[in-house]
Amino acid sequence: MMDVTEFGHAVLAGKVAAGARAIRWLDDGDSRGAAVLRSIFAATGRAHVVGITGPPGAGKSTLTDMLVAELRKRERRVGVIAIDPSSPFTGGAILGDRVRMARHTLDPNVFIRSIGTRGQAGGLSRSTHDAALVLDAMGYDTILIETVGVGQDEIDVVNLAHTTVIVGVPGLGDEVQAVKAGLMEAGEVFVVNKADREGFEATLRQFELMLHLREQSRPEDAWSAPLLRAVANRDEGGGAIVDAIEAHRTFLKASDGFERRSGRREREQVLTLLRAQLVAEIMRGDRAASILDDVTARRIDPYSAADALMSDWRQ
Amino acid sequence: MLDDLPQRPLRVLLAKLGMDTHTVGVTIIAHALREAGMEVIFTGLKQTPEMVCAAAIQEDVDVVGISTLSAGHTRHLPKLARLLREAGAEDKLLLAGGVIPQEDQPMLLEAGVGKIFTMGADTRDIVTYLKAWWAERQAAEVP
Repeated sequence: MMDVTEFGHAVLAGKVAAGARAIRWLDDGDSRGAAVLRSIFAATGRAHVVGITGPPGAGKSTLTDMLVAELRKRERRVGVIAIDPSSPFTGGAILGDRVRMARHTLDPNVFIRSIGTRGQAGGLSRSTHDAALVLDAMGYDTILIETVGVGQDEIDVVNLAHTTVIVGVPGLGDEVQAVKAGLMEAGEVFVVNKADREGFEATLRQFELMLHLREQSRPEDAWSAPLLRAVANRDEGGGAIVDAIEAHRTFLKASDGFERRSGRREREQVLTLLRAQLVAEIMRGDRAASILDDVTARRIDPYSAADALMSDWRQ
Repeated sequence: MLDDLPQRPLRVLLAKLGMDTHTVGVTIIAHALREAGMEVIFTGLKQTPEMVCAAAIQEDVDVVGISTLSAGHTRHLPKLARLLREAGAEDKLLLAGGVIPQEDQPMLLEAGVGKIFTMGADTRDIVTYLKAWWAERQAAEVP
């Protein structure tokens, strides 16, 4: 077994097995993951991180597959992180997004990883950010992050990606349901997939209206989000979507937007890690456990319990 | 509830090789493993040994399970075992299930298949076997 420093070198050299194992450690909360991350972090920040999100059944996996094909035509090296829900009851998961991407399995310039949410809300797993850093360090130019099927506010991917593609689809009932308001506020590229389906024109008009209202409330020099159509299972529309994704990257690069977005997510990660460490520290010991028991027995309310734990910890 | 979940779920890749398109068995097993708290990566049908090997490494699974119901196993399975070895992934458990005649089994085990479950095996037995294997593997890893 290699030591962690060698592991870091192997990841930086783009070795698939080493990168895959590093992601596993980070996903499992194994301390070796943090050690590898430490040794590769300085080399990260190059890749264009692109989120693909939308409601269940919008065809996100098939669209991702099409975008990989299009990016490969342009000789980009592509990493894919495909997230599916874990069972909140057993922790188990069936991760099936790869099925739609099978044609890229043997392409040495494509790396696909399936990840379960493992109890995290928001459409991603806790490890998604770290997994993207590993793929970045391995030298993938574009990293596509396909979220679980999302509803109104599961849009964590927006904080993680430089560019977010929102995928809608006709036929999810009321047109407004095609994509919820929370999603409309979030994305930089909008795609109505399954454009061969009945109800497509109505869905497209609904998107146009929402985007028009969105534009009005934003400054003039803000990115103007394009609305595109696709039939992903027939490989139609991929070129224009990748054009838009790369145009947004150019837009961000023209200012300091690209670095600012990556920087924001790294800073957010520091706070996330700090919160977890602090909570673990504060909750250590019998006294904390007994205060929680008091809350269960309703002898003390949660606000007072938190105050008591904080003041104990400060001393 | 969430606090009780295992921190390191076993990751299992399930695949079918060649032109075998019988999916009922593999689907039932996928659900049984999910119920047992495992992460199941399904790669689909008509896979080649090369594809399964590449996916197993990218996904860093612990177990590669191949369902085989229409022959071809004496060719595909030894090849997959060899590819995994050549890729330095011999630590992964290669599991085969389905229609595998008794007389083929010694050759497959010799070639690197770790365990064989034949047609009609109880999914609970597969879960029990994998849990025991995983517990042993994790115990061995602790320094």
